[in-house]
Amino acid sequence: MKGYRKYFLNKLAWFFVTLVCAFILNFILPRLMPGDPVAAIVSRLAQGMSDATGVQAIYQQYADLFGTNRPIYEQFFIYVKNVVRSDFGFSFSQYPRTVADVIASSIWWTVFLQLPAILVGWLIGNFLGALAAYRRKGFDKVLLPVSIFASSLPAFGMAVLLLVVFALTLGWFPTSGGYGFDMIPALSWGFIWSVIVHYQLPFWSIVLITIGGQAIGMRSMAIYELNADYVKYSRFMGIKDRKILRYVFRNAMLPQVTGLALAIGTMVSGALVAEIIFNYPGLGSTILKAVLGQDYPLISAATLIITLMVLVTTFAIEILYGFIDPRVKAAQSEG
Amino acid sequence: MRSKCLAIFIFLALTAILTTACGPAKDEVTQSTGEDPKVLPRKETLYFNGQQFGPVVGWNPYSTSNNNAMAIVLQDNSRVTMFETPYLYNMLDGKVYPLLAEGDYSWNDDRTILTFKIKEAAHWSDGTPVTAEDVAYTWAAHVRYNTPAGAANKDYIDTIEAADDRKVVIKAKRDREGKPVNPLIVASYVSTYYVIQKSWTERLEERAGGDTAKFLADTAEDAVYSGPYHRFFADDSKVILVRDDDYWGRDDSMWGRLPVPKYLAHTIFRDNAASAVAFKKGEVDVSQAFNPNIELLWLNDRLPISTYLPEPPYNIGTKMPTAFYNLNSYGLDQVAVRKAIAIAVDYPTVIANAVTNQSPTFDEVPRSLMNPTSTEQALYDHDAVKHLQWEGNDIDGARKLLDTVGIVDSDGDGWREFKGRKLSYTASCPSGWSDWQSAIEVVAAAGGKIGIEITTNYPEWSVYQTIVTKSDSPLPEGYDIFMMYTTGAGPAQPYTRIRNLLSSEWVGMAGNWNGNWGQYSNMEADTLLREIPGETDPGRLKEMYTELVKIYLTDVPSFTLMYRPEAFHAVNETIWTNFPHQNDGTDPPVPPLDCTDGWGIACLYNLTLVNP
Repeated sequence: MKGYRKYFLNKLAWFFVTLVCAFILNFILPRLMPGDPVAAIVSRLAQGMSDATGVQAIYQQYADLFGTNRPIYEQFFIYVKNVVRSDFGFSFSQYPRTVADVIASSIWWTVFLQLPAILVGWLIGNFLGALAAYRRKGFDKVLLPVSIFASSLPAFGMAVLLLVVFALTLGWFPTSGGYGFDMIPALSWGFIWSVIVHYQLPFWSIVLITIGGQAIGMRSMAIYELNADYVKYSRFMGIKDRKILRYVFRNAMLPQVTGLALAIGTMVSGALVAEIIFNYPGLGSTILKAVLGQDYPLISAATLIITLMVLVTTFAIEILYGFIDPRVKAAQSEG
Repeated sequence: MRSKCLAIFIFLALTAILTTACGPAKDEVTQSTGEDPKVLPRKETLYFNGQQFGPVVGWNPYSTSNNNAMAIVLQDNSRVTMFETPYLYNMLDGKVYPLLAEGDYSWNDDRTILTFKIKEAAHWSDGTPVTAEDVAYTWAAHVRYNTPAGAANKDYIDTIEAADDRKVVIKAKRDREGKPVNPLIVASYVSTYYVIQKSWTERLEERAGGDTAKFLADTAEDAVYSGPYHRFFADDSKVILVRDDDYWGRDDSMWGRLPVPKYLAHTIFRDNAASAVAFKKGEVDVSQAFNPNIELLWLNDRLPISTYLPEPPYNIGTKMPTAFYNLNSYGLDQVAVRKAIAIAVDYPTVIANAVTNQSPTFDEVPRSLMNPTSTEQALYDHDAVKHLQWEGNDIDGARKLLDTVGIVDSDGDGWREFKGRKLSYTASCPSGWSDWQSAIEVVAAAGGKIGIEITTNYPEWSVYQTIVTKSDSPLPEGYDIFMMYTTGAGPAQPYTRIRNLLSSEWVGMAGNWNGNWGQYSNMEADTLLREIPGETDPGRLKEMYTELVKIYLTDVPSFTLMYRPEAFHAVNETIWTNFPHQNDGTDPPVPPLDCTDGWGIACLYNLTLVNP
């Protein structure tokens, strides 16, 4: 247990170092982009104004409000103070909406689209990969090329394919939106059904690509493990296939679990392609617009959430690895 | 074990498909079943696209930062769905028509005082009458809080006062000689800016506590309005307005009836493709989006889609996307270089490719400073400037012009030099503005044909705009030739557009959102621009405008690449019909402004259902 505590504290220390570095970069990097976000706001306000001092006054007013005319170190300390109070301030691009409001209105669409899609794709992909490795022959000959095809198809290709076939040609699903174009959100069966129907194409466009990648990875790992010495030895010992398979899949699963953790960690960045092609609500297009519109507070808040999620999931995986695979803990605590 | 796992997999894979595939997307046309519906009745809802990008952030009529395109847009043809202006501008005949006002406004003899009356029937959504005091207080608040409206007009409007409950008196600012500074801008105030209720404004001020930022940042969801629609629903996916059935405009002194659609709805699309698909499917009735090759929708797809004009350019061009020269760039201070590039550009290709013929050609509307509307075309002497105009694609003419002034390729590298230095430029426009990018590529190609190297550059708009509008210093590298827009049709046009294109008053301005971004200066043009607002003699005005066109076509500080409509206006007549079309018999003619802007809102009163 002493070794494990050392391993845990070591990981925790690195977690905080990474968090601090990421926090500083999240603040600085957006502000290094060329351009002036306040000028963009003034452009919305000042069109039609022919009074130079009036335009300048409006510019000054917003520069003061957002603090962009202060030195960057001063802006940073204000930012830190506000973040500690969970206040990310106003969104520049959607002013006077607050960053918290902007994120809250779209993050749940992203989580409910991404999380099930990642989990379903991961489960199905790993199951099929393991099955292909175990059964080989015909099943593997079909699964492998199909998986390679699916995983190598760019996300927008899969989304457009599904859109054209199932929405435009067959008319089974709607072409766009998170719910019916004529509906108003309400706790009714009609609305829930509308959400489910609109969910399908974005969902499967992510799942199908995930399945392909996961299946290929799992198949390779499982084939490697099936040929490992401990499997041959177990067979010589007369251990039943079912038991051997459990050992094999547990070992083959380790890198796949890491992939799953990273996918969950970055899921908040949104399924940008699905959001754009299916006009699906979510954080991906919000973040893209924030980047294009130099919305520093929104970029910083979104990247901070992503950073935290990636760090927490990878930290959790590292800690779990210590339990799942004693070799990892041993190797880490030796150093 | 294996069969169990297979069963789980099949279950996982098929559950979602089975639960949904058996229920294809419904295309039912619904009708209202009562108040506050969960599904908008299709036959009572007019759907839009191309106006609202991103979610609505406010309903504050004092602010221009609401991103609320269905309710609040202040422009020459202001959006009057929720808040209203005293007058409505009609770009088809160049006149203003009373809305909240009664009858025409009148000027005193020296055009220093403009007066009009508020209609007796006009009332707010809370039932109280719209008064002259509301108009006066609105202006006072604009000035007090330095709103964009206040800042834009305070150099021209001195005071707005209520002479009695209904009579409004606007006093113009005077110059040293006692003449009004700019009566054109004073007059355009009454069709551009909303009248906002005094008592609601006082509530807003109380909330803001005198803080300008808070005053403008207030989301104003409690705003009292006078228009026919108000907020019904808004989220990140859509915005919906609902009709106020107590709207004062049903009085015989205005429309005599309510607008036909009960709901105005706008789905917020994340890209043009999704928006275009919805339009084709009939989920959008009025499209303000640019639909390339729009004629294919009715010619090939046989959809009930149409535009204001049945043939190219399909809409009435009023805006003039223009290529500006940076006059501080090496060689671009030479008229010959500027004119050579301009006459070498293949404009038919720009119009055919960049805007798929949705612009009048320069054969149809020869270049000047005027937009293609008949009102503006009548304002200058066409014959007097004919010799200065050019058709484009004149490679030989451009080469000859450069040869004549000695700008030749002296070192044999294929590129011309001016005083020994190669003429090499960068032409820019914002990234993703596909029609502009296509046009700027044609400009670059023209340069290559006449021995002037032009490469293209497409920065993000957020960067581009901050550089282009910084007129207090020379433009940086990469902005030798660049595209920007002009204003369209309005009560102060073409004066404002010409001022924006030629006036040197913008040079030296840090945040210049007006024009002359290439920093051109011509004293003669400045003098004419100072005199025009005070001139009332039509003959003299025509002379002055003709002179300005001559200066523009001679000096070529910038050149128009295409004409663009005030608003794209295509309609899908699956559900609704009787939209504005050319020669539709309406009098005054209803302009194609998406049924929401200026006199274009009259469209909402004329709509009928295809299948009632």
